[in-house]
Amino acid sequence: MTVILEAHNLVKSYPLGGRSVEALRGVSLSVSKGEFVAIMGSSGSGKSTMLHLLGGLDRPTSGEVVIDGVNVSQLNDEQATLTRRDKTGFVFQFFNLIPLLNVAENVALPFLIAGESLGQHRQRVQELLALVGLEDKAAHRPDQLSAGEQQRVALARALAPEPAILLADEPTGNLDYTTGTEILDLIWDSCDRLGQTIVLVTHDARAAAYADRVLVVRDGSIREEIVLGRRRDHEARALIARLAALGL
Amino acid sequence: MHLAALAWRGLVARRLRTGLTVLGVALGVAVVAGTLLANQAASEAVERAAAQLMGRAELRVRAFDPVGFSPRAITTLRQIPAVLGAAAVAERRLTVSTLPDPRKEDVFSLLLAIGVDAKDEAAIRTYDLEAGAFLTPDSPTDALVNAAWARANGLGLGDQLILTGHREDVPPVRIVGLLGDLGVGALSHGNVLVMHRSTLTTAFEVPAPVTYVDLQLAPGRVEDVQNALDRELTEPFIVETAADAARQLGRAQAGFAGISFVFGLIALLVGAFLVANTLAMTVTERTREIGLLRAAGATRGQVRGLFLRQGIVIGLIGSVLGTALGIGLAALAIGFLRSTRAVLVTGLPLNPLALGMALLMGVAVTAAASTIPAIGASRVSPLDALRSSRQPGRGLWARLRWIVVLEALVLVIGAALYPLERGEFSPLAVVGALAILVAGTGATALLLQPLARMVGRPFEWFFGAEGMLGRANLGRDRARTGLTVGALIVALASVVALGTITESARATADRWVGSILPGGYAIRLGLPVEVDALRSDFEATAGAAVASPIVEFPAVARQGEAPAQEASLAGIDPNVFEATGSLIFVHGDRTTAFRALRDGGAVLVPEPFAGDEMGVGSIVWLSLPGEEEQAFTVAGVIAYTLPARSADGAILLSLADAAERFGATRSSLWTFVPQDGITEGAFQSAVAGKAKSYAGEAISARELASDLGRSIDRLIGLFDVLALLAVVIAALGVLNTLAVGVVERAREIAILRSHGMTIGQVQAMVVSEAAIMGAVGGIAAVATGLLIAWAIVGGSTPRDFGAGLALPWPLLGSVVLIGIGVASLAGLYPARLAARTPITRSIQHFE
Ligand SMILES: Nc1ncnc2c1ncn2[C@@H]1O[C@H](COP(=O)(O)OP(=O)(O)OP(=O)(O)O)[C@@H](O)[C@H]1O
Ligand SMILES: [Mg+2]
Repeated sequence: MTVILEAHNLVKSYPLGGRSVEALRGVSLSVSKGEFVAIMGSSGSGKSTMLHLLGGLDRPTSGEVVIDGVNVSQLNDEQATLTRRDKTGFVFQFFNLIPLLNVAENVALPFLIAGESLGQHRQRVQELLALVGLEDKAAHRPDQLSAGEQQRVALARALAPEPAILLADEPTGNLDYTTGTEILDLIWDSCDRLGQTIVLVTHDARAAAYADRVLVVRDGSIREEIVLGRRRDHEARALIARLAALGL
Repeated sequence: MHLAALAWRGLVARRLRTGLTVLGVALGVAVVAGTLLANQAASEAVERAAAQLMGRAELRVRAFDPVGFSPRAITTLRQIPAVLGAAAVAERRLTVSTLPDPRKEDVFSLLLAIGVDAKDEAAIRTYDLEAGAFLTPDSPTDALVNAAWARANGLGLGDQLILTGHREDVPPVRIVGLLGDLGVGALSHGNVLVMHRSTLTTAFEVPAPVTYVDLQLAPGRVEDVQNALDRELTEPFIVETAADAARQLGRAQAGFAGISFVFGLIALLVGAFLVANTLAMTVTERTREIGLLRAAGATRGQVRGLFLRQGIVIGLIGSVLGTALGIGLAALAIGFLRSTRAVLVTGLPLNPLALGMALLMGVAVTAAASTIPAIGASRVSPLDALRSSRQPGRGLWARLRWIVVLEALVLVIGAALYPLERGEFSPLAVVGALAILVAGTGATALLLQPLARMVGRPFEWFFGAEGMLGRANLGRDRARTGLTVGALIVALASVVALGTITESARATADRWVGSILPGGYAIRLGLPVEVDALRSDFEATAGAAVASPIVEFPAVARQGEAPAQEASLAGIDPNVFEATGSLIFVHGDRTTAFRALRDGGAVLVPEPFAGDEMGVGSIVWLSLPGEEEQAFTVAGVIAYTLPARSADGAILLSLADAAERFGATRSSLWTFVPQDGITEGAFQSAVAGKAKSYAGEAISARELASDLGRSIDRLIGLFDVLALLAVVIAALGVLNTLAVGVVERAREIAILRSHGMTIGQVQAMVVSEAAIMGAVGGIAAVATGLLIAWAIVGGSTPRDFGAGLALPWPLLGSVVLIGIGVASLAGLYPARLAARTPITRSIQHFE
């Protein structure tokens, strides 16, 4: 199995009123190509901070991140941005879409940013919209979509450039159970059918149960690694039991 | 803590925005204060100049006859009871030169020589001297010149000047005093030489005529003296009072006050846009917060009060700052005006009334502008606190409606304060122009989308996705963009209108000069000379086809039952004027009119003199004082005529009528028509040579027109600076709007960045947003500005803008470029702000 994402001893501290707060205290991990990894933890444990560092959105105070062979912790902003453009796709909890662009344009955003046109990628955009079941809403504007539909568009957009890794931070946090499940099914499908590597941040065990492997974070470090393996039923009970045993 | 403290905290929390708005208001108020002070300086200068020109004299008795008063008449004047002092003044034009000096180039200059009797003069007038002393009776060769003229020619106290004339043995005069720029020193644009009347008389074969005598009277005896004049003075005369003199001077300055005031208003208008927009943005941004306040029990009135307080604080600080800035601006403007001599000004007057008025207008306009967003804020419902996303608010029209009300208010204030009685343009044209300005701005806000889409194309092509996003951002809050672009339009449109009006005035000046100088060349002599004495010599000028005199003389004109008034007549050769295509007829047929002139008993009257009553076929009664009236038929009304002492200009009749009916046979103005095929340069130097041999001044239509054009340009230059200040204020608005937009869109920018948009791309997006605003503003400003110019030019008399609308093409192009450039420059800071948007934090905290 080729390793596509590696983190070595990541430390992130924020200055706070003269002192500093350590959000991450030495995190190391590695993710293989095609793997689905979930990061779990309670609020304030450092999940988002970790995801931002893994995606090259922010720089660690110390330690390094290697995405698909590129050490992003050593790059300047311009280089880091271009790496992101090539290798990562993001889905956030809410307000992922640019309100000024319609659905198709939002999906094509990575191409537009790269200086290409929607016309050049019409085919791909159609495929992606079909993948998330929104073929007929291509011309809609974000504010004409439900929250679930918005997240599907965000997912389609994150998948558009065929990124090395898809990073999602609580993508279902704002959705009801059924809608959330639909999104998670789509994410899992992309992993299982298309071999997309996925890192998912969540505090919900039922969402984490989609993953092959769950990393449990507490106080800025990884406390536990739970290997679930690829399962079609996404059964959460086993995971919940393990977590309960850990006192979570 | 009181709730009101929130108003203050709101301002402090958004330091950049508050600072920019205060600066905008300050600049607007500065322009108002500056123009008010400059106007004050101009009107004080008129008063002081009038006071200095008349001195202690209450009456000026002017000789009607160009030959001036005889010595006997002067004695008669002195002997009238209640006349305490009389100062006789002789005038003529002459050429002076410096003594030959191998080290320096000789100075040749045509000056208005004023001959005075030192003792009498000193009793009547105190001269404003920059250096040296006034003439003393015992040194007859002393003279005074304008200090600025002396400096320009490298001369100073003690230097000598030769009077060029027909006599060989005239000793040079010595400069003993340098005159300041007010009063006598300002006559003839500072080309003036004050000397002893006795010396002036003996220096030339023809003595300089005594053109007027100023009388100092015992208190309360004006009427007695006027009666005595009618009885005892046998030579024809005209009486002027000190008030008349002041009025005449003031008329020349009137236009300046009106126009500069309009520019003050425009700057303030743009400032009002800025305030309204800034507070409106704050309201949108804080909708949720306001909703929370309302939910917690704050009344509508309290919310409104919060925003009104913010507006008033901005207005107060801005106005105080602006008034101070305005003093500086006025100092610069006054210095500039003094250097151009286009308008008489004194030193900087710190008039508390003008300063107070600027301050008050600043606060009032800001307060008015802030009521709009304040009312908007008071309409926020407590439910808005719960909504997940901000609503950009009600319809576009609902928001713009208030702006229209605000602009109307500014218009009304402006119209009320406009110095009406002094204005040169009709107040209707000014108000109309401002109305077009506001309407054009409003229309642009409505047409913003399609306009921006059109104008944005090249930017999208150039910047790709960034350009497209930049353009799309403009449509996000159309009222906000509309206001921002609107301010830009107001400012740039005034630049366009100004440029177009200037161009039209210049074209008119060309036409004017061309139409009254047949052949395009002329010689002005120092004194009127018998026509027949010079004709053969002038006709012999190399390359001249025709040399034709213009016989100018004063007369009295009466029409119908109206009282007779002073008028200026000029005898012309109808054949020469007809053959050269001179004169522009407003009424009457050209051929018929010239035939009537040749036949005799007919006149051509200038349009302002004709007014509404007089037309072709009307009868005008003309006479010399004390002589019988003669009837003349109006054969035509002409657009332009020769300038003359009377404000309307000269009434034209034939040379034959002038000689036979009025005995007028002396001329100081000769026009020259070149032969076919002679080059312009050769003819010009031939005429110049001839002029020099008679100590006269050579005039060419081309030079005269370009002189006029230059003086128009210089004055307009000042207004351009004022208009550009308004552009700067508008640019502050662009900066403000974009900066707020960037802060509001932090999350969106973060998402773009997380998907691989580089810092450079983010900056390009913001700058292209700014540039599109600038381009839309520039294009709309060209349209609006042309419309304004069209209204003003169309609404004015044909005498001012007879040549119609002339388009300054290079200016129109550069206004669009200025718009793009200024807006892009203003976009740089927001672009930096956008580039610095922290990705992770902006994603976490969505608001
Ligand atoms: N910009 C910052 N400045 C200071 N402290 C920060 C900053 N960002 C995060 N932190 C702190 O770092 C810690 C980890 O934050 P993080 O957002 O990663 O938590 P999380 O696990 O994503 O929580 P949640 O489930 O609520 O999203 C928290 O204690 C937080 O207060
Ligand atoms: Mg988080």
